Amino acid sequence: MKKLILTLAAVAMAFGMMAQNVKTVPENVDVKTLDGKTVQTSVIKNDGKPIILSFWATWCKPCNKELDAISEVYEDWQAETGVKLIAVSIDDVKSSARVKPWVNGKGWEYDVYLDANQEFKRAMNVVNVPHTFVINGKGEVVWEHTSYVDGSEAELFEVVKKAMEAASEAE
Amino acid sequence: MKLNKVLSVVALSLISLFAACDKIESDNYLVFSGASGEWYDGNGVADKSQRAFLDKFTGIRCVNCPTADEAIHAAMEQYGDKLIAVAIHDSSTFGMPVEGFDLRTEDGNTWRNTLRGSGGLPAALVMRDGDIFTPTSGIQAKVDPILAQSPVVAISVESQLSDRTANIGINLEFLQTCNDNLNLTVFIMEDGIIGQQFQPDGSHKSDYVHNHVLRDVITDVWGAEVDADGQAGTKRFCNIKHTIEQNNWNLSNCKVVAFISNRSTKAILNVAECEL
Amino acid sequence: MLIAALVAFGLTSKAQNVLGGGQVSGNIQLDGQISRADSLIGSENVPEKLLMNARADILYTNGNFSAGLRFEAYQNPMLGFNAAYKGQGIANYFAAYNGEKLGITAGNFYDQFGNGMILRAYEDRYLGLDNSIRGFNVKYRPIEGITLKGVIGQQRVYWDYGQGIVRGLDGEINLNSVIKPFAESKTRITLGAGFVSKYEADETVPSSVPGYKLNIPQNVGAASVRMDLSHGGWGLQAEYARKGQDPNVLNDYIYHEGEALFLSASYSQKGFSANVQAKRVDNMGFKSVRSQSGEMLYINYIPAITKQHTYAFLTLYPYATQNTGEMGLTGDVMYKIKKGTVLGGKYGTDIHFNASWIAALDTTTIGGRGTEGYTATYFGTGDAYYADATVEVAKKFSSKHKLVATYGYVLFNPIVEGHAGDMHHNHVFIADYTWKINKKNVLRLEAELLESDSKYTPEVDDKRCGDWIMGLVEYNFTSNFFACFSDQYCYRDGNGANYPQLSVGYTHNATRLQLGYGKQREGIICIGGVCRQVPASNGLTFSLTHSF
Repeated sequence: MKKLILTLAAVAMAFGMMAQNVKTVPENVDVKTLDGKTVQTSVIKNDGKPIILSFWATWCKPCNKELDAISEVYEDWQAETGVKLIAVSIDDVKSSARVKPWVNGKGWEYDVYLDANQEFKRAMNVVNVPHTFVINGKGEVVWEHTSYVDGSEAELFEVVKKAMEAASEAE
Repeated sequence: MKLNKVLSVVALSLISLFAACDKIESDNYLVFSGASGEWYDGNGVADKSQRAFLDKFTGIRCVNCPTADEAIHAAMEQYGDKLIAVAIHDSSTFGMPVEGFDLRTEDGNTWRNTLRGSGGLPAALVMRDGDIFTPTSGIQAKVDPILAQSPVVAISVESQLSDRTANIGINLEFLQTCNDNLNLTVFIMEDGIIGQQFQPDGSHKSDYVHNHVLRDVITDVWGAEVDADGQAGTKRFCNIKHTIEQNNWNLSNCKVVAFISNRSTKAILNVAECEL
Repeated sequence: MLIAALVAFGLTSKAQNVLGGGQVSGNIQLDGQISRADSLIGSENVPEKLLMNARADILYTNGNFSAGLRFEAYQNPMLGFNAAYKGQGIANYFAAYNGEKLGITAGNFYDQFGNGMILRAYEDRYLGLDNSIRGFNVKYRPIEGITLKGVIGQQRVYWDYGQGIVRGLDGEINLNSVIKPFAESKTRITLGAGFVSKYEADETVPSSVPGYKLNIPQNVGAASVRMDLSHGGWGLQAEYARKGQDPNVLNDYIYHEGEALFLSASYSQKGFSANVQAKRVDNMGFKSVRSQSGEMLYINYIPAITKQHTYAFLTLYPYATQNTGEMGLTGDVMYKIKKGTVLGGKYGTDIHFNASWIAALDTTTIGGRGTEGYTATYFGTGDAYYADATVEVAKKFSSKHKLVATYGYVLFNPIVEGHAGDMHHNHVFIADYTWKINKKNVLRLEAELLESDSKYTPEVDDKRCGDWIMGLVEYNFTSNFFACFSDQYCYRDGNGANYPQLSVGYTHNATRLQLGYGKQREGIICIGGVCRQVPASNGLTFSLTHSF
C-alpha cells in the first residue's frame, strides 16, 4: 500500500512539474441550486466575461458584510464590466435550509449554489470563509483572497476591471 | 423509455439492498454465550411457588395403567401447574414394545431400577421421597402436604428452540438456607404420543394418547451439581444447550422439566416446567 | 491496484492533455500552540511545550481526471484533538474520473445523501473530525435531472479504518428536468431516496442476563425519502429516515429502531424572509463500528437545527444534537425596514429574529441493554434541553458608522453536554460597532454581557460562571492586516476566570498568518475578516494557511 501511495505521489509530482501554473474551476463537481436541483460546476460560466466566485456561509459575518456591500454596487459593476458574482454557500445541513430565504430576503441578485458537503470548496482548496476568486473570461483564476473587511470590495473591483481589460486586450 | 429503465434499475437495487438488513425478533435479542452447564449469579425467580413432582411408572402392556392415568390426569386438573408428572415406561415385560411401538428409555430404566423397587405396575412416587404407592387413588394425600410446605428453593426454567437446539435457562433462588448438596436434573418429556396401550378390559387400544412421556434426561441422569452456597437469598443461574438428535419426537409437544434434588437422598425440593 | 489502474486510465484517456499540462493546486495549514497550564480555563500543562497540527492537500487535475493526497502531521496533537491523531503520514488519497455522465472515485471520498440523515462522510478540520470513506464512489447521471450514487468502503478513524463496511445507494430526480410539460413550471420539485447498509462482524456483547450475550444484527440498514419543493418565494423541504435494529454503544445496546424527521418551510421576498424548521430524532446514532463512542465513525449526520450563533456569549452554552432522541422547533424571521422611512433612515434597518426550542422525547423505559429499550410517543415531549430567542438589529447610520445590537435569551440544560446540573437561564446583550475611518482603516468595537442564574460548580464544569462581561477592539488596515484585543471576564458568581487575548494577522491573497497570545476559549471566532473554529488555548498560538 505504501508503495502505491508513493507511486501516486511521484506521478502527481511529475505531472505537477509539467503542469501549467494556472488554476481553473473544475467542471463536474456537484452543487445544488436553491431549488434543490443537483447541477455541476460547469454552470459557472459568463460568456467570456469575468466571474467573482465567493465562498460564504449564513453564519459568517464577514461573508455577509462582503456580499451585502457588493449587492449595493452590483448593478454598477455589472454595467461597467459584465461581471457575474457566483456565491457558493458552504452551509451544511445545520443551516442549508436557511440559505434560500436568506438570499431572497437580502435581495441578493447573485447566482447562488449550495455546497453542503463542501466538495466544491475542497476542489478549490478553500480553507476559511470568506474566500473569493476572480476568474477571467478564459476560466482562469487570476486572483484570490481570503477575508473581508468593510471597504475591501473596492480592491476586488479593481481586480475585476483588470481582468476585463486584459481580456479585451487579448482580443 | 430511458427513464423507466433507470427507475427500474434503482428500484431493483434498493430492494436488493433492503435484503441486506437483519431483523431480530424480540424473543431472540439474547443468545447463550457461556459454557453449557456453568453456574452464574442470577436474577432470581419471579414465581416462588412450591410445586410437586410425581414419577409414574407405567407400561403399554399394563392393563391397569390407564386407570392410574385417569387419576393422575384428574389430580393435574385439580392442582394446575402445581403438579408436574412424568410417565416412565417400564423395562419389565409390561413395558415391552407392541408392534414396534416402544416408549422405553435408558434413562427411565436407570430411574426405575433405583426408585421403583420390586412392586407391580402402575406405581408412583411423589417428590422421590417416602413410599411407592399405586396411583389409582390417594394422590391428593401425597401432594397436599408438599404444597403446604414453604419452599426452600424456588426454581424457574425457560427454553428457546432454534432449529433443533434448545437453549435452556434455569434460575434458582434460595428462600431458606440449605446446607445439603444439591443436584439439578433437566429432562424432556412429550405429550400427545398416539399408540398402543392395553386396556383394563384386556383389549389393545392402538390410538391411546400417552402424555408426559419421559424422552431424555439431558443432564446426568441423577442431575448435575448445583454450584451455590445455599444461603437464603442466593440467586443462581445455569444454562444448558442441548441439540435434539432424535427425529421421531414432535418438538412442539415437548416440555422441559427441571428439578432440584438432594444429591444423597435424591429427594426433590422443587420443580418447574416449560415448553421446549 | 485499482487506484493505479484508475490513474493509468485517467492518464491514457487524457494523454493529449497530459502533454499540455494539467494543474496542481493545494492548500497548506499549520496551527500551533505554546501552552501554559491553567486550571481555571481547563488548559493543561504540556510537557512538549509546542503542539502543532499541520496538513497539506495536493490536488492534481487534468481535464476530467483528478488525483489528490493529504499529508497530516500532529506533533503532537493540539489541545482539544484526540491523542490518537499523534503521528504523521499520508492520511488520505484518491483518484477520480469525473465525466459529464459518469463519475468514479477510488480512495478516500466525502459524500452526502440528501440531508445526511443516513449517510454523510465529511470532515471538519478544526474539530479534528474526518469520517471520510475509503473505497469506491460512483455517480451516474443518465439524463439531465437524475443523479444516482453508489458508495462502498470503510471509514477513517484517526490513522486507521473502522472494520464496518458501509454500502449505500441514492437516487435523486428533479421532476422539472425530466417531465417535459413541467419544465417551465413555477413549482420546482426534487425527490430523492437512499439506502445505506452497514456490515460489521459479530462480537460478544454481554447482556445483563448472566451467561447470555446479545444477538447482534451484523447488517444494519437505514433508508430515507426526501422532497424539495418550491414555488416562487415559498419553499418546503422534508426528509424522513428510518434505521433498523442497531444495538450500539450510543444507545446502550438496545433494539429500538431509529427514526428521524426533518421539515423546513420558508417564505421570502426581497426585504423579508421567514423560515420554520421542525425535527424529531429517535435513536438515530449510526456508526460503522458499534462499540465506538466519541465523535468519529458516524455514518450519518443529524444536524442541530438551532441557529449557529457566532457571538462569544451566545455560543457559551451551545446546543449539541442528541442522537438518542430529541424534538425541536426553530424559526427565523429577517426583515429590512425600507430606506427613507422613520425607522429605516437613509440606509434601512435590518432586523433578525430567531427562536429555537429543543426537548427530549416522551419515552417510557422498557429495559436496559438487550431489550427494546423504550417506547416513545410521537408528539409528546419530555424535559426541555435548550431554548433560545435572539433579536438582532443592524443599523447603518452613515457610510462610516454601523451598529449591530443584539439581545439573546438562552435556556440551557447541562444534560446535553452529558452532565447533571440545573437548567439555567441566560440573558445576553451585545453591541457590535464598526467605524470605517477611511478607505483603508476600519475599527470595530464589540461589547458583550451575559447575565445568568447559573452558579459556579467547579466539580461539574470549569467554565461555568454566573455573569460574564467582554470587550473587543479590532483594527483592520485594508483586508491585509488586523490586530485585535479582547477580554472575557467572569465578574460575578464564578471563579473569576479571565480570558485576555491579543491577536494579529496578515492576509495576502490566499495566504494568511495569524498570531495570538493569551487565553482563548474554544468556539467559532470571527475576527480579521474570517470565521474559524478554534480550540481552547493558553499561551502563544499561530496559524498559517495558504492555498495555491
